[in-house]
Amino acid sequence: MKVSKEKIGLMVAGGVVGLSAIILTVFGNPKNMGFCIACFIRDMAGSVKMHSAGVVQYMRPEIIGIVLGSFLISLCKGEFKPRGGSSPFIRFILGFFVMIGALTFLGCPLRMVLRLAGGDLNALVGLFGFIAGIAVGCFFISRGFSLGRAYKENKIEGVALPVVNVVFLVALIAFPSLLAFSETGPGSMHAPLLLSLLIGVIVGALAQRTRICMAGGIRDIILLNDWTLVLGSVMIFVVALVGNLVTGSFKLGFTGQPVAQTNHVWNFLGMLLVGLASVLLGGCPLRQLIMAGEGNTDSAITVLGLFVGAAFAHNFKLVGNATENGPNVWGKSAVIIGIVIALLIAFFNSKIKEEK
Amino acid sequence: MENNNQEIKEKVATFRSHYGAMMFRRRFGEGCTLRPVPRSLSSSCGTAAYFYRDDWEDHLDENVEGVWERNGEEWRKLYGEE
Repeated sequence: MKVSKEKIGLMVAGGVVGLSAIILTVFGNPKNMGFCIACFIRDMAGSVKMHSAGVVQYMRPEIIGIVLGSFLISLCKGEFKPRGGSSPFIRFILGFFVMIGALTFLGCPLRMVLRLAGGDLNALVGLFGFIAGIAVGCFFISRGFSLGRAYKENKIEGVALPVVNVVFLVALIAFPSLLAFSETGPGSMHAPLLLSLLIGVIVGALAQRTRICMAGGIRDIILLNDWTLVLGSVMIFVVALVGNLVTGSFKLGFTGQPVAQTNHVWNFLGMLLVGLASVLLGGCPLRQLIMAGEGNTDSAITVLGLFVGAAFAHNFKLVGNATENGPNVWGKSAVIIGIVIALLIAFFNSKIKEEK
Repeated sequence: MENNNQEIKEKVATFRSHYGAMMFRRRFGEGCTLRPVPRSLSSSCGTAAYFYRDDWEDHLDENVEGVWERNGEEWRKLYGEE
């Protein structure tokens, strides 16, 4: 059987992401958190003092690298195409709630795969929720859900988010006193700056070339019975699993897992919210960073939604808490409100009508 | 219809939404499958319709973004704005 170039590319990219995650963990990132787009954006929001949770503040070079990697490779390949205008504020709100769901579970879909590869069975519960959320989203997509078409925009608009990331990088290197940095907790644990940045750029470029996406892979299976895109996620899992076994970091079970909580209901519902909102947005948080790098300003707005969601999650203490076994009543309310709002957005943007 | 050694080339239509692709397939009828957009055509991950028939122009609507024809490894644009 001939394996297509696309599938090979996805498997290579997945393998590199999995290996990179292990390397970053070995060099200092928190366990099972070589990458976590949600956690890292949360740390960055803390670093620019949008929230003051002292244990999760760091300007993560991986995120900066991913955006710039996607930006540079899309420029080189003629795929940098500034466009936007597809319901930007609705996307901001969905991005906000993706972050609420992810911080309830304590990880974005990418970290969910990495947690699974570390033996964290809470991530399996999260995966079931994620698939359920994507299935609900697919129900609306197959009934005409769309946030409307995007239009061509000028170059300055498309370049803005990559430039903001350059500013973040300059601040991190040259003016660190402007930023807040955790002294304890996950925010204080990080690989060396240049290594994180370099790996971010490589992963950003590979993800742009291959369209790797955790939500998209499952969506394609449900909507089109196409198993191509999911290969990337499968390879991330396989390589990270082997890496964890080799480095002795694999630990199977529900309890005592790094940066995790064991409340099944809220792990499930948190990731259900992430899956639903991601599929409505057309991609998981990693994919939003990549599309933003390609000049998609709707994705840039979504990334802003993730930032603000993270700030709210910590300022109002809505996050899943390892010591309290899940979110408090306000956190639970935020997840339920998020699911309801995502469903309303899905319903009112669908054409539930028959066409000949 | 195959005649005079003329190879029938595969075509692909891209859309503004998955629903647009579904509606196209419904109008088009037999011989049309929905799969992800080829990477060589787009860096986005939408749904495309693949078919061989030549009467695709009868089935266009505002949801169709472009139609392309396979030329070896490349795709040649048949329809759609820049």
